[in-house]
Formats: sequence, C-alpha cells, structure tokens
Amino acid sequence: MQLYLPIAEIPVNIFVIFGMGGAVGFLSGLFGIGGGFLLTPLLIFSGIPPAVSVATVTTQVVASSSSAVVTYWRRKAIDLKLATILLIGGVLGSLIGVILFQVLQSVGQLDLVISLSYVTFLGAIGGLMLFESVRAIRRRRSGTAPKARKPGQHNWIHGLPLKVRFRRSKLYVSVIPVVGLGTIIGFLGTVLGIGGGFMMVPALIYLLRVPTNIVIGTSLFQILFTMAAATVFHSIGTKTVDIVLAMTLMIGGVIGAQFGARMGQNLRGEQLRLLLALLVLLVGLRFAVDLLVTPEDFYSIAIEKGAGA
Amino acid sequence: MRRLFTALFWLLLATGALAQSRPNQDLVTSLSSDLISIQSNFTGTEIVIFGQASNIPRQPDDRSGFELAIVVEGPPQDITTRRKGRFLGVWVNREAERFQNVPSFYAVASTIDIGRMANRTLLDELGIGLNHLNLAVSGVSNVALADRDDFRRAFIRLREDSGLYSEQETSILFLTDTMFRTNIPLPANIPVGVYKVKSFLFHNGEVVASTEQSLAVAKSGFEEFTFQLAQVYPLVYGLLAITLAMFTGWLAGVIFRRD
Repeated sequence: MQLYLPIAEIPVNIFVIFGMGGAVGFLSGLFGIGGGFLLTPLLIFSGIPPAVSVATVTTQVVASSSSAVVTYWRRKAIDLKLATILLIGGVLGSLIGVILFQVLQSVGQLDLVISLSYVTFLGAIGGLMLFESVRAIRRRRSGTAPKARKPGQHNWIHGLPLKVRFRRSKLYVSVIPVVGLGTIIGFLGTVLGIGGGFMMVPALIYLLRVPTNIVIGTSLFQILFTMAAATVFHSIGTKTVDIVLAMTLMIGGVIGAQFGARMGQNLRGEQLRLLLALLVLLVGLRFAVDLLVTPEDFYSIAIEKGAGA
Repeated sequence: MRRLFTALFWLLLATGALAQSRPNQDLVTSLSSDLISIQSNFTGTEIVIFGQASNIPRQPDDRSGFELAIVVEGPPQDITTRRKGRFLGVWVNREAERFQNVPSFYAVASTIDIGRMANRTLLDELGIGLNHLNLAVSGVSNVALADRDDFRRAFIRLREDSGLYSEQETSILFLTDTMFRTNIPLPANIPVGVYKVKSFLFHNGEVVASTEQSLAVAKSGFEEFTFQLAQVYPLVYGLLAITLAMFTGWLAGVIFRRD
C-alpha cells in the first residue's frame, strides 16, 4: 500500500517502512540499543531524503526510548540528577547540531559529513566492542576470572573542579565531563539521527564509573529528552520531521522491540555484544564503501529555493 | 479632473485587457482538470490536454507545415548540481553549479521532432524542448567553462531520471483534422504550486497561435493540514510529534508489561 508522505513529499510503501521499523525495533530490543544508527542509514538507502531521515529518526528514538524509560523508572534504576546534567549538555549539543546541519546542507556537504561520521564512530566503537567481547568470550572459555575493579580507582577525570555528588550513582565527580559528554552525544545525535546510547553507555561506565545497574536507565532517560529537544529543533530549524513516517516507524519499532527483548534474555551478554559489534562494523563498512568506491554517478542535484526546497 | 483621469485610466486598462483576451480563432485548448490534489494515496497521475486548431488548411495525409507543441512547466526552483571528485582518497562533492529559476517540472509533447519544428533561436526563446531550456547559472561558480555543458547535461539527465523532466516527441494525437489530444504523466514526486500549460501552433517554422493555461497542484486534506502545520506552526508540530512518540512508547510499555 502506497502512502504519500506530507513532508518528504514522496509516496512510500507503508508495509516496507513498517517492516523496517519492526526489524530495527527487534534488534534494538535484542541489544538494548536505540537503533537510530541502523534506522537512519536504512531510510537513506531506501530513498528517503537524508535530511528527512535524520530528523524523523530523532522522533522515532523518542518513542522507542520512552517505552524503556517507563520500565527503568519503575525499577528506580535512573539517576535523575546525573541525567538532568547530561541533558543540559544534550540540549546544548542538539542546538549546535541543528545549526551545523543547516550550514552543511547549504554548502552541499551534509551527506559527506554524515557518511564520514558514521564510518568513524561506528568503526571505532564497533572495533572496541568486538575486541572487548572476543576477550570476554575467550576468558569465559579459559575460565580465568575477570579483573575486578579496585574501589577508589581514579582517572584524570576525577581531578577536575566543580565536583558534584550523585547519590544514586554513588559518585562524586566534576560536572564538566558530564555536561561535555551530554553535549557531544546530543550533537552527534542531532546531526546523525541516532540516540547515541551505544556511545553513552560505555562512556558512563568507563569514563565516569557509573554503576552498571544505573547506566542504562540514566542513559535512556537523557536520550529520550535530548531526542525530544532535537525533534523540536529540527521541526523549527530544518522543517524535515515527517510525522507520518515517524508514526509508521515507531509503531513497527515498539512491536519489534518486544520480540527482540524476549529473545535477548536467552542469549549471553558477551555473545550479544559480539553480534552488536559485528552489526555496528557492518553499517560503518557500508558507508565506507560508498565513500571509497568510484560512484556510478558523479553528479547530484539539490533544490535550493522555490517549490519543494 | 482627477475623476476624468481615473476614468480614462480604467478605460485604457479595459481596452488593453479586451485586446489580450480576444479569443484566438486558430487554437483552443482545454485541460482534463485544472487542479491536481495530492492526498495520502497519491501515486502520480496524468493530465489530458485536448484542443482544436481551427482554420488550418490541413489535409489528412498532408500536414502542410502545421505542427503543435505543448509545454507543461512547474513553478520555478533554484537547483544546485554538484560533481563528485576524489579528495584524499574519498569521493566528495567538489564543483557546484547553481541553476536559477529553472522549472521544477517540465514536460513537452509535440507532433514531430522538436528540432524540425522551428529554428533553434525560436525554440530557445520559447523554451520548447529539453535542449532549448533556459538554464541560467548564478555568477558564483567554480566550474570550468569547458565543463559547463557537462553540468547542464547531467542536470537534465538527473531530472529526467526522477521523472520530472520529459520530452515526448510525436505524442500529440490528431483525432480529426483539427482536434488533437495528448497525455502528460505527472509523477508522484511532483512539487506543489501553479503550473503553466503552454500550447504553440507552428506553421512553417513560425508560431501562428498560442495559448496559456494554468494548472494547480496542491496537497489537500490531511496532507495539506500536516504540511501547513509544519510550516506555519513548527513549534506546535514538533511538540505534537514528541507527544505522539511518547504516548506510543508509553502505550507499548503498558500493553507489553511483564513485571
């Protein structure tokens, strides 16, 4: 069934879009990720204009993360104070992101920056996850216990000023890295159309040493509100949020996520991480191929002014 | 005195208008519809243009030099064409050429090959045929003069690929000696706005009659409402989007609740 998208101004097959939302939702439920980094490229490759894809996925991420936030909220697994400070950075980063997005669009380098960023971030994070999960699987096979983290271990981050106490996370750290982290994730999320959970979670664990049971809920909470802000900024700034596309994706997504979450419970953590790492690398590779292989068509056009701009 | 001037002014205006609207005896055209409304099930459509070229001494087997061309033109756009080049091993957009005030949609139908209809100058002047479109470029451009034609060709090719530009020679059908008809397909991705439908009757390479009509392409119903909301009240639209998203997420959480 064809459905005409009011903002993208093209007709799409609604079942294909619904299926994409469902498939990405399944993976996001399975791995406990937002799935934006999979959905945005998928939409771009299927012919939705990049600007519409990026902006609309921010709305879809709001839906998928709010569903999970409700669960973590009930379990009281969210550090509200930490999330709020991250969020301040997130909104700031998102605002900078929308401005940069418009600048890049006008100079015709948006697609390049999106591709390069995907290659860089997905490559780096996928590589790290792959390395870490392979090591964990080997360790399990050989039977050696992982090295426990020594209490009171500090890194350079703990030497920064403006320290604040986060009771829920049992932390006493400076707000500078917290706001900084929020800004970077908010910025990347807005420009790339991703929630950034797969970057936020490792950063909170390894850089700020937030306890693992608090990390996911807190990260999801801040992603929810950062992406909500990004949706509003995109609506006002780029006017490329397609509400019909977003609704189709989110309905498919929330249903898929439930099945994914059920299946995820039967898989071991490090196996999941290995699969996720391979998936992340694969998406990164796909973008790298586009950048490196001689394009079929050297020319492209973009409407700057007038009808349909 | 002032009244007299005003009256004179109106009189002049009226006679001018009268002169312009004097029915052209040689060419009459009509559209199957003067409004294309885009709704959620829109997947493209076509318009039928039919008309009569009367007072033509035209025999069934002898065209006697009379030919027709019909141009459908969408509202103007500024479009940048970019060319990729290798930079540090990566393919990036290098040169760009901005075409100004080019039609967002362009379809031409004719009775014979456009090149044989009239001389180049006249076709260029009237903008009949893809090779005769006026593609004005902006002053700022980093494209070498030798490459400009490549950019124009690439631009037209890309627009043809997306179905927005087309040239259908010999697609005007004569039903009788004087009555003709043609179909112009409008693809699903046509931009909204006011279109111009221009018909030209040529005789031995000269335009002897022409008509111009307008065709409106507009979103309607839900599509129009959503689009207007996004354009006029972007804040409301954004807030509505996140409310819907949060509600959907929350609802899913409630429906599939397991603990």
